[in-house]
Amino acid sequence: MSNFKKSKMKKYIYQFIILSGLALAAGSCSKAKLNPVSSTDIPSNFVFLTKDRIAHQVNGLYAQLKVGNLLGGRWVIYNDVRGDNFINMTGNGVTALLIWNFSVTGSDAEINNTWNAAYNTINQCNLFLDGMTAGGDTVIKDAALVAQYHGEAKFVRALAYFSLLQLYAQPYSKDNGASPGLPLRLKGLTDNGHNDLARSTVAQVYTQILSDLNDAEAGVPGDYGDGSLNVTHAHKNAVIALKERVYLHQGDWDNVIAEANKIVPASAPFKAPTGVANTLATDLKDVFTKYTTPESVLSMPFTGANEQPGTQNQLAYYYLPDLGNGEYSLNDDGIISDAAWKTTDARRAFVNKDGDGVSWLRKYPGGDPYVDWIPIIRYSDVLLMLAEARTRKTNSVDAQAVDLLNAVRHRSDPSTTFAPASATELIGDILHERDIEFLGEGLRGLDITRLLQTFPAKGSAGAIDPSNAAYIFPAPTSETQYNHNW
Amino acid sequence: MRKLLTLLAVLVLSSVLAFAQTKLITGRVTDQQGQPVPFSTIRVKGTKKGVSADADGNYSIRANSGETLIVSGTGIELKEAAVGVGSTVDFTVNRKNSNLAEVVVVGYGVQKKSDVTGNISTVKGASIADNPVQSFDAALGGKAAGVQITSANGVVNNPPVFRIRGTNSISLSSYPLIVIDGVPTFTGDVSMSEAASNPLASINPADIESLDVLKDAAATAIYGSRAANGVVIITTKHGKRGKTKVTYDGWVGQTKAFRLWKMLDADQYMMIKNEGVANKTGATAKFLPTNGPDGKEINTNWKDYVYHTGISHSHSLNISGGNEATTYYIAAGYTRQEGIIVTNTFERKNFRFNLDHKVSKIFSIGVNAGYSNELNKAATSTGSLPGQAYSTGGLGRIALILPPNIAPRNNDGSYNTNGAAIGPMNNVKPGISYYNPVVLIENNHSSTENNHIQGNAYLQLKPIPDITLRTVYGVDNLNSDNDFYLTPLNGDGYPGGEAINTFLKYKRWIWTTTAQFDHIFADRHTLGFLVGTEQQNTTQLGFGLDRTNVNDVYYTNAQGGWTDNVSATVNNNTNGINTQNYLVSGFGRLNYDFDKKYFVSGSFRRDGYSAFAPGRKYGNFWSASVAYDLAKETFWANSGIGKVINTLRLRGSYGTVGNITGIADFASYPFHSTKLYDGTTGLYFSQAGNKDLSWETSKKTDVGLQFSLWNDLITGDVAWYKNSIDGLIINIPQAGSTGIPGVPNLTIPMNVGSMYNRGWEVTLNARPISNKNFRWNTSFNITFNKNMVTALAPTVPNITYTTSGLEQTSITLPGYSIGTIYVLPTAGVDPATGRRIFVNAADQKLGYDFNVKKYYDLKTGAVAKSIDPVKDKRPMFNAVPKYYGGFENTFHYGAFDLGVLATYEGGFYVYNGTQASIRDQRFWNSSVDVLRRWTHAGQVTDIPRIVYGDNVSNGSANPISENVQKGDFIKIRNASIGYTLPTKLLSKGGISNARVYISGQNLVVITKYKGPDPEVSTNGNDTQGQGVDRNSVANGRTLTIGLNIGF
Repeated sequence: MSNFKKSKMKKYIYQFIILSGLALAAGSCSKAKLNPVSSTDIPSNFVFLTKDRIAHQVNGLYAQLKVGNLLGGRWVIYNDVRGDNFINMTGNGVTALLIWNFSVTGSDAEINNTWNAAYNTINQCNLFLDGMTAGGDTVIKDAALVAQYHGEAKFVRALAYFSLLQLYAQPYSKDNGASPGLPLRLKGLTDNGHNDLARSTVAQVYTQILSDLNDAEAGVPGDYGDGSLNVTHAHKNAVIALKERVYLHQGDWDNVIAEANKIVPASAPFKAPTGVANTLATDLKDVFTKYTTPESVLSMPFTGANEQPGTQNQLAYYYLPDLGNGEYSLNDDGIISDAAWKTTDARRAFVNKDGDGVSWLRKYPGGDPYVDWIPIIRYSDVLLMLAEARTRKTNSVDAQAVDLLNAVRHRSDPSTTFAPASATELIGDILHERDIEFLGEGLRGLDITRLLQTFPAKGSAGAIDPSNAAYIFPAPTSETQYNHNW
Repeated sequence: MRKLLTLLAVLVLSSVLAFAQTKLITGRVTDQQGQPVPFSTIRVKGTKKGVSADADGNYSIRANSGETLIVSGTGIELKEAAVGVGSTVDFTVNRKNSNLAEVVVVGYGVQKKSDVTGNISTVKGASIADNPVQSFDAALGGKAAGVQITSANGVVNNPPVFRIRGTNSISLSSYPLIVIDGVPTFTGDVSMSEAASNPLASINPADIESLDVLKDAAATAIYGSRAANGVVIITTKHGKRGKTKVTYDGWVGQTKAFRLWKMLDADQYMMIKNEGVANKTGATAKFLPTNGPDGKEINTNWKDYVYHTGISHSHSLNISGGNEATTYYIAAGYTRQEGIIVTNTFERKNFRFNLDHKVSKIFSIGVNAGYSNELNKAATSTGSLPGQAYSTGGLGRIALILPPNIAPRNNDGSYNTNGAAIGPMNNVKPGISYYNPVVLIENNHSSTENNHIQGNAYLQLKPIPDITLRTVYGVDNLNSDNDFYLTPLNGDGYPGGEAINTFLKYKRWIWTTTAQFDHIFADRHTLGFLVGTEQQNTTQLGFGLDRTNVNDVYYTNAQGGWTDNVSATVNNNTNGINTQNYLVSGFGRLNYDFDKKYFVSGSFRRDGYSAFAPGRKYGNFWSASVAYDLAKETFWANSGIGKVINTLRLRGSYGTVGNITGIADFASYPFHSTKLYDGTTGLYFSQAGNKDLSWETSKKTDVGLQFSLWNDLITGDVAWYKNSIDGLIINIPQAGSTGIPGVPNLTIPMNVGSMYNRGWEVTLNARPISNKNFRWNTSFNITFNKNMVTALAPTVPNITYTTSGLEQTSITLPGYSIGTIYVLPTAGVDPATGRRIFVNAADQKLGYDFNVKKYYDLKTGAVAKSIDPVKDKRPMFNAVPKYYGGFENTFHYGAFDLGVLATYEGGFYVYNGTQASIRDQRFWNSSVDVLRRWTHAGQVTDIPRIVYGDNVSNGSANPISENVQKGDFIKIRNASIGYTLPTKLLSKGGISNARVYISGQNLVVITKYKGPDPEVSTNGNDTQGQGVDRNSVANGRTLTIGLNIGF
């Protein structure tokens, strides 16, 4: 290569370097753009920084409990349609048909969705409790409020575990809780690698639930001083009422009575002496239309456009033939066939016969957007649970039990007064009353399984006895496929 | 104006200089068609003086009058021209018919095909321009080796399944990066209505000059983190110097469904269903005829209401031309295309404006801009787009399964409805939950309207001939309006009605600056060096309104009067969308060759991407490649074999690229979101994120051989490739009890999996006959691809895929190809009992009796444990084709031309889920297959005993192997016959050329597949759910007549 060419080449190279340097400078990068901040989601490390966000997280725990796959719809529906009072009308596989006829399998979405929703709620509670301990408590400062938030989180966690147990595990009464229960998750999880966890026994899960509820009872206020909060957040009486239910499901009559006695006076008028003045609503219909009645110990609220149960989760969608989709009608051979349930009983107004002679439940009256509140614990349940426990405990025609039963009946039907001749008859009357009183409120399935009764046949669906595998929900595959310690 | 004066001065000056002894000669090298011949060499005969023409064929050289210029180059014949008194010498050269002579578009530049060391296939825009497709990608099938285009359904403007060398991701997109005139564009289906909307439809295929498909690391590494799926570079047409040319291309055609399932008529239906009822204990349903208004029994063929003959037409007009300094291409297009489903249409109005201007010798500028308005309509769910397979109103399924003994209208003309569902007429308790399609078709409406602007402006500086500096700013703005109306009369909108209007705005800007240095040292050392920077910013904004309970049925849009506002869902996000991502890059490429025989090339790119957590944002990508042109060696060229084998070129490349397409913009971040609780704010953990998340890495190896024989009579290209993908992002499923957020599946994305695609590509082109009257060109390509998943995560033995959220059809697991069909094995029908025989995991054969819902051991007759889909399903059939390709033949005889393109795919299976639908024994209508049902002991048949309500025996409840079929097919994708009108006749009208043609798409389908169309992909482009045909509408057959005119 000649010198001339070399120098020319050098010139080219220099020019090239200078010009490409300029070119590169033109494309300098923007650090901010490389580290964008979401404008629609809140980074998780921000959520314990302020009192407001912590308070919002508490609301969020209830909101997760209230999702359509859990207490905001399907959990209630599943426990009703497993029972004998409803007939599937549409044959639609995504609206609990397979749960209704006990053919649901572990891979079905309904089984997995409710499981996942409950555990999502549990993990939210765990994360919240961890985060509060790690620093949230110091942000709040106020010790009472700290105790309240911890208590509410534990209440929500207990209710989620309790709700799961009733569907996915053998009843406690089968073997005093010796059956496999649920994986007991008590630490918040945010990352991969925590799939494997063996199931604790049913009894162990009950123990945890009661431990949480005892903490909650100590932490939450007796009265929020707000009609809505007293129905939508855990207050002392709500915690006590849930404990009463938990003990009832364990067949621990002493403790049912002990808990109930905290909020039920020995004789009429039955009205909680402390905390929120829970008592029976004068008109039962108010519970389903006005929502924040003294009878509503705990309900799942819905409000207008942005707070709905979601498509095909709404109770009215299932039960109303006109405003809803008429998924389930009332079984003519179910409780509505009971002759002793008088036509003058106010609760008969919830049963509505159409032109074709098909009966429908009209307890949740609102159509789209389906924002009727869902009662989870009513004071009448508090009364009837106590009545049952007293009767079973004493194995006699317990006077207070009869009073409690009559209190519930008289509210809707003053013309009927129970005067049972035996403890057995009284128990029968109480269970009967529960069937009428809580029709379509998600308690029928629970009452059948806790007493190890057979699910009666209905329509084309056959009876399912406690020895049948379908008596409880199958294990969800979203768990069994990935939890190798199941 | 000043520039013009300067130019004028230069021109005057140069004409003065022309009288000097040595003068500057400028000119242009074009071929017979007037197309520029780039990079040819112009020498002064008898001297060593020589220059190279530029990419547009322009050159300038100093020479004396009386001397002779010689032009030479790869792929063109030598030509000489004497230098006369003028200063312009233009060459019109004859092209040799060689693919290696062509120019290919590479990342951030162009190269001569003979210099390229990477694997790039070029498809000429002209070869797809007349196809009656909505977007160009749909026309690429069979056109290039390695490219697999599968038309997923018969919905217009649905993006095809587009793969280059197999599926290269599990959780992210496997769609190639599409770069239009330097701007990477949006891909996928942007529609949020019932219509499909492929944003690539914004480009009128008639405006495309070329489509270059970049396949290996050498070609793609310069695109770094987005190159794993290959890159397709679209170059739109530019004006050429010379007389203004006007071209009109138009066609009109019709599309029809074909190969549809044959269903039972009303009498057969009632006979079968009542037989089922008789076989079912306690069944109370009865199937009874109803008389229509004519007094005759109703016998409805529901397909008549869902399918029709679609009419389509397209018109493209362009004006192009230019002078020394300025060239332009201006185009307008209009097309309206109807699908085979009633009310499904696509309409596009588009304009394009491309201008290039040379301001001075060193400075040029230009603008490329396209505007398009597309209206995609489908009144109601076609049931054919991903996620829709089980839509209760999905037309694909409804056309099959509605009872033929009911009619859409009652005898008084009113709609036959029963609440949300169609009415049962005289049938007793059939439990029909499906909708009346006629109500939906006539009353619902849904559309996606896009306004799409794509374009760029560039400045280019050539301070000295060897250096090109270029800066390009591009935009891609897509505004998408989605309208959705559900009638209150029937279907999903019952009883209140619903209207949704959503608006989505995709905005991207990209700024690319490059510096290119090219020089030939000592005549034989060619060096090319490119460095560049690029920033790309993308934002997406979306919001909408969802309203229910109409005040008055008069209102049919969301702006009308409604009672309730539901939070609108935009991409399932109730708050709408407001998101962004940013990519910042530096890149470079070095090419060197010695004597045009030995080639070495390397490229590098460093990308920083915003979606990853700090510390994980940057990645480096690179490639190295070599090539050796053996036939250029003297010993070869002079030998006997050199006369036969004119080109023999070996090349190899290796490199690493990435994939980020499909990663959510904030995928790595943990988030809380808000939702209401009793009207107050609730805050909850909504996304786990993963701070270690990163791009997927694809290591690409490519070894190839290009050859031409007997003066390019036969040319070919053979390549072996392997893409090893590591760090595949897998959404690691979390056990339900972990409570990790995610609906319906709880997952955390992690870079854990690995997979490879490897195979062979063979392309053969030949012109067996080529004389004045008759020419025959033939081109064949085949790709053998083996896809294999090699690892998932330690905790994840497999990933199952659920079609449309309901049916688990596919599984991805190591040792199998991605998305292997996952079914319960069945073994026909037990001749003794008519029960479907299931095979459990222990290989026991069990007969199923739906009447008692029990399984019986076939050997012992004892009741057996029920089939459990989780334990008993098996990964049984590969859904990924083992080979695919195309075979194209064109014949020219005088003024006539004939072109036939066949495409084929083979070595794969399709889960024919539709067959499960049409053998389901609920009230659903069945195909005529069920007439072969088992009726008596000893009967050997494939259809079990009919039991009313049976959704298990034929595979509705769980997918069964009975419904899996071989998908191998050959399709005559396109065939056309054209006639070019005699020029003499036309020239009087100012017409320079005119051709008329008739053309057909999907004329012939050869397959053993029992469904209408083995190409159907119910899960669209999804990587894990290929090979599933569940209730989707098949592709139609299209016939067109068209006209191409040039003025």
